[in-house]
Amino acid sequence: MKNIIEVKKLTKMYKNLKAVDNLSFEVKEGEILGLLGPNGSGKSTTMNCMLSLLEFKEGTITIFGKEMKPNAYDIKKEIGVVFQDVALFEELTVYDNMDYFCGLYIKDKRTRKQYIEDAIKLVGLEDFKKFYPKQLSGGLLRRLNIACGIAHKPKIVFLDEPTVAVDPQSRNNILDGIEKLRENGATIIYTTHYMEEVEILCDRVIILDKGIIIAEGTPDELKELANMEEKVSVYIEKLEEKHIEEIKKLKNVSEVTYHNSNLIVIYNKGKNNLISLTKYLEKERISYDKIYSERPTLNDVFLELTGKELRD
Amino acid sequence: MTVFKAYLKVLNKNKWMVILYTVILIFFAGFNMKTSDTRGFVTEKPDILIVNEDENIGITKHFINYIKENSNIKEIKEDENARNDALFYRDVNYIIYIPKNFRIDFLEGKNPEIKVKSTGDYMAFLSEMLVERYFKIANIYKSIETNEEKLEMLIENTLQKETEVEMTSKLDTDTLTKAAYFYNFANYSILAGSVFVICFIISSFKEEKVRKRTIVSSHNYRKYNRELLLSNSLFAFTLWLFYVLLSFILVGKAMLTSHGIVMILNSFVFSFTSLTLAFFIGNLISNKEAISGIVNVIALGSSFLCGAFVPMEFLPDFVITISHILPSYYYISNNEMVKTLEIISLESLQPFFINIGMMLLFSLLFIVLTNIVTKRKSS
Repeated sequence: MKNIIEVKKLTKMYKNLKAVDNLSFEVKEGEILGLLGPNGSGKSTTMNCMLSLLEFKEGTITIFGKEMKPNAYDIKKEIGVVFQDVALFEELTVYDNMDYFCGLYIKDKRTRKQYIEDAIKLVGLEDFKKFYPKQLSGGLLRRLNIACGIAHKPKIVFLDEPTVAVDPQSRNNILDGIEKLRENGATIIYTTHYMEEVEILCDRVIILDKGIIIAEGTPDELKELANMEEKVSVYIEKLEEKHIEEIKKLKNVSEVTYHNSNLIVIYNKGKNNLISLTKYLEKERISYDKIYSERPTLNDVFLELTGKELRD
Repeated sequence: MTVFKAYLKVLNKNKWMVILYTVILIFFAGFNMKTSDTRGFVTEKPDILIVNEDENIGITKHFINYIKENSNIKEIKEDENARNDALFYRDVNYIIYIPKNFRIDFLEGKNPEIKVKSTGDYMAFLSEMLVERYFKIANIYKSIETNEEKLEMLIENTLQKETEVEMTSKLDTDTLTKAAYFYNFANYSILAGSVFVICFIISSFKEEKVRKRTIVSSHNYRKYNRELLLSNSLFAFTLWLFYVLLSFILVGKAMLTSHGIVMILNSFVFSFTSLTLAFFIGNLISNKEAISGIVNVIALGSSFLCGAFVPMEFLPDFVITISHILPSYYYISNNEMVKTLEIISLESLQPFFINIGMMLLFSLLFIVLTNIVTKRKSS
């Protein structure tokens, strides 16, 4: 797959604050790239620089092999953007809103009409064409916001936290829509701080913190950075200190914490870790409840790399 | 056309406000035009009570007859309290007390005093003028004529004399006053209509999130701004044209005279100034909820301060001084001036063009301010 976007040594300053620091990465054709990071990590700034909405101090951004500039209308024609905030005309109906935003790209009336119908179908707004935005729920508004951004069938789609403050049903609908966009061949740049969405959707992930890339790779590659294989959580009403010390000595255990009746045991490798732990608890006649095992998440990766959680 | 099409749809959402401002214009301007008929005069007669203690003969009788001809004589019972009550309740405006032996004393040159009581209003003033006029003439002829009958004849002849006045002006002041009323009121409708609609539309199209979405699109942003500017200009022009047509309906053919055309030109320049003002405010504010309040302050405020609703001659001097800082003042001043111009020529229109220049200077100021605001916002 060829590179469709190339960002080289991008630096963006807000007065004395470096929002993005010497950032370099590329996006391959047809992939979904996740830009993951906590609030203020530089995700939106990076995206706005790529869209020429912000001027930047240093670096170059090329899209389709051409330099991205504010007047690069031939490049912009192939780009669709869905901003975090809903950007619509309150005075226009669902259809008219889409007609306007799609009309900024597609001048042919018949083609536009077809594209709008396709987008409406994609986000499931068939029954709301004549509704005004104020008549729609938050989730439906988000769907309309997405439809307005992708109705012109762009080759590259920028999605900036499209599922923030959305109900589960709309969220699933939006994620399904993104999958369909990928199936149709679109390249997607997806910024979010929801690691679950990144794990489900993204082929490749860039984790940002304080304007720099702290990790990059596929979700599985990144999880290997977490320096753990398995995490077991057990609810134990009361646990003595000597038992915690003994659990630490069990095979493959790298870390044990006990807080608010929650015992968390982290294993760096190995199989049957859960069985060995339950056997120990039964042998010591320690009663327990709600035991479960989980694989490392991207949050664990972030925690490992920065010492803080994604949602801090 | 994409921007223009969306513009029309958003405009359609605001059509009721434009209709409301137009109805207000038709109602108030129409009402004032109806009540401003200046053709012809109706002579008014004061209500006078004469208390005559002299004999009703000779010069006394002649004086009473003269008063009777020029006033409404009231009969009140012979009681001073009843007369005072009649004055208090404005049943009479003036009471003339003719003393005993008035006729003889007057003829003998003793200058007998005629006592009066009055309400002090303008009708009483009119009564006083009647009495003064009679005795001024009588005193002049009394020095040259001692015969009572001849004296009465001389007085009568003088009182009968009338001065013929011929109006040389061919100015249709009545129709031009109506036209001025209409265009003065149009100050409110043009300002309110333009500012409300254009502000509303600009705040929709330039709303930060929508603006961002437009900038990232493949539609040339300069072209987009140009389309928006043209759409707003077209709206302002249509609104002006509509009000001009309305003036033809309400005022009539007088709008085709040179006076009417000058008033139309004046309103065109004012519409342009309103458009630039609307652009400035539209770019300045970002809250749609605030638009109605701002429109009321600007349109109503300037209409009151500059004499659109209350004629300038009734406004206090300090209000007129303040109104100089508003473009409406120059627009309304022009309307008021044009209606009194005997001849329309480049020379007589010099003050008119100075006011037009002032309106254009305001437009320039608003354009510069709009540029400053938009540059600050975009940076």
